[in-house]
Amino acid sequence: MISLVDAQGYAKIIMTVVLVIILYGYILHLYRSEKKGERDYEKYGKIALDDDITSVPIEKNPNLPQKKEGEK
Amino acid sequence: MFHWLEKNPFFFSVGVFVVIAFAGLVEILPNFAEASRPVVNLKPYTVLEMAGKNIYKNENCITCHSQLIRPFKSETDRYGQVSLSGEYVYDRPFLWGSRRIGPDLHRVGNYRTTDWHENHMMDPKSVVPQSIMPAYPYMFTKTADIDTAYAEALTVKKVFATPYDAPNGTKLGTLEEGRAAALEEAKAIAADMKNKDVKDAVARGEIPQMIALIAYLNRLK
Amino acid sequence: MQSNAALEYDYTVAKLFTYTTILFGILGMTVGVLIAAQLAFPELNYLLGEYGTFSRLRPIHTDTVIFGFMISGIWATYYYLSQRVLKVSMAESKFLMFIGKLHFWLYFVGALAAVISLLLGFSSSKEYAEFEWPIDIVIVLVWVLWGVSMFGLIGIRREKSLYISMWYFVATFLGVAMLYLFNNMAIPTYFASGGIGSIMNSVSVYSGTNDALVQWWYGHNAVAFVFTVPIIAMIYYFLPKESGQAIYSYKLSLLSFWGLMFVYLWAGSHHLIYSTVPDWMQTMGSIFSIILILPSWGSAINLLLTMKGEWNQLTENPIIKLLVLASTFYMLSTIEGPIQSIKSVNAIAHFTDWIPGHVHDGVLGWVGFMTFAGLLHMAPRMFKREIYSKKLIELQFWLQTTGIVLYFTSMWIAGITQGMMWRAVDEYGNLMYSFIDTVAALHPYWVIRTLAGVFFLVGVFIFAYNMIKTMTSSKELAQEPKNQSPMAA
Repeated sequence: MISLVDAQGYAKIIMTVVLVIILYGYILHLYRSEKKGERDYEKYGKIALDDDITSVPIEKNPNLPQKKEGEK
Repeated sequence: MFHWLEKNPFFFSVGVFVVIAFAGLVEILPNFAEASRPVVNLKPYTVLEMAGKNIYKNENCITCHSQLIRPFKSETDRYGQVSLSGEYVYDRPFLWGSRRIGPDLHRVGNYRTTDWHENHMMDPKSVVPQSIMPAYPYMFTKTADIDTAYAEALTVKKVFATPYDAPNGTKLGTLEEGRAAALEEAKAIAADMKNKDVKDAVARGEIPQMIALIAYLNRLK
Repeated sequence: MQSNAALEYDYTVAKLFTYTTILFGILGMTVGVLIAAQLAFPELNYLLGEYGTFSRLRPIHTDTVIFGFMISGIWATYYYLSQRVLKVSMAESKFLMFIGKLHFWLYFVGALAAVISLLLGFSSSKEYAEFEWPIDIVIVLVWVLWGVSMFGLIGIRREKSLYISMWYFVATFLGVAMLYLFNNMAIPTYFASGGIGSIMNSVSVYSGTNDALVQWWYGHNAVAFVFTVPIIAMIYYFLPKESGQAIYSYKLSLLSFWGLMFVYLWAGSHHLIYSTVPDWMQTMGSIFSIILILPSWGSAINLLLTMKGEWNQLTENPIIKLLVLASTFYMLSTIEGPIQSIKSVNAIAHFTDWIPGHVHDGVLGWVGFMTFAGLLHMAPRMFKREIYSKKLIELQFWLQTTGIVLYFTSMWIAGITQGMMWRAVDEYGNLMYSFIDTVAALHPYWVIRTLAGVFFLVGVFIFAYNMIKTMTSSKELAQEPKNQSPMAA
């Protein structure tokens, strides 16, 4: 019978391999979808630079209550 | 795929939590049952030893002393037999330490005596001339907290089913019995000591911290 | 609601935490220098009677730096930058403002109580979690308040997408909450025994080896979630903002965030060294964690690449200098850690000074510099005055860099020396050195380490002076600076 400690070892290795695959698959996905023009990820980097309270958000939060939506 | 998460803080948080919590489950849980089996003949701490352990704990002795002998010849030659998981099952908290500024103490009871500890705690340099350990003279006059130690023993007996009052084991009994037993044990240790304050205190029925600490250190074998 | 022209970011809480960062920084690091000196000159143990021994002071050093300096620094920068990247002011919500202030004051009272309790000799002896149960409860409350404050602000944000820094703050919140709660599970003996003995004493619900597993799962990862994750949150905001360069690659930052979360998942594998897990599994674990470290280096490389084409700023702006050196030290300590967890290296390094050496090149170089840089960047914006002196920042930078280099080089040598002496045998296989020989051999390195600490501490005092002058008597600014922080020569 397989002991709990052995099972832990196997679980670790399998999980690690799966995570490596997911992570590197994720890189591919990110770069591919930007190349195909589906998304522009880099625009979000500007959130830090253009951060005055009067700045226009990159993407507006639609969940805000209406009265705050009214202002511009 | 994932970018959706950055716009949805709730699911983002859930995602992060799942990822970080998983490690704990896989790393820690499987060892739990196995590591809590005591070695044969291991007895729970007596009330006096428990009081000593609490001094060791509260004074952070672990900042300089480890209690973990690793499986190397150089360590077993120096400190004694390799430490086993089952020897620690009554240690709450564990006191392995992480830095050996001073030597390992897991089996210090095998090669140091009450007398040695008494001299050493009063003035470490009198025993080890190059020692950098601070002296702890106040432990010879401060009274050990026996009641708290009893409360702790009673707590682990009730909550974690630590086998006190088992046949051939450590007796706990009532608070009065616990105090009396601690004093008896203390008298035996005081007989091996020469410090007058300590002897007087024990004669009055008080137990100085030093006696409790020595009781604990002598138990470490 | 009125026009946005009147609306400003509200830095009340950020300022309060800035003060405590400086206060606890000085306190924690002064104690650090004192205990370093105690190892070199043991007579210093007797300055304060029983309250001045190494064993009482060491937890005060670690806990004041971690829970005083660092947590304050995290919250100072959090209360500053979260408003800005979410584009919402705390002044817009009375409730959040109240929670923020309550958060600070409860924290401050709790932190003082914690220091006093350690000084009086109440300790659970679990490293970096020494506080007894009443203080643990305060800490949990403070943490919950931060959660309410953070998720409350996220709830009313104008910017839909969370900026990189916010991911790391959320991860800090969740990670520390989970680790702290599980590690500090303890039963107060006073209540469990029906009112006997001291009310402060508690007993851990885990025992022996299990307690060790939980403690080091906490110890390793709490350091990760206090000293790494929130610091990355800071640098992802302050470096782009101060330099005026958008982050080099947002995609890479996404990747390194999730990569890092996964790495921490498995970095704990070095806790299994010399345990009952079969050898080949330990080895496999090490190999994969080294593979997974590549995405975690992504952050550091990403930040350095952000400076591409703008390296001249490194000579012109001392804040950029602090930030760039911080990322460099991050790379150094994240490669050192995995090396130490290799089995044969660990056999020598464990229990020696190499471990504090590793911790300090991370915390002094990476964490310290990042926190100083962040506060210096915030000062002109919070207090609407230019930074008092550029020269003092330069002086601080060089003093502290010297201190760090002295610190880790002396500790590397001390650690390896002692590790080798413990295992040295003569031709007959007998141990060559008694334990005290290996202690005496470290004296010169401990003197150098104390000196290193003095260098760093003097830098901290210079920083504090510079900040106080900036707050009180520097030239006032008409409007908020866009990128580079204005500073007088």
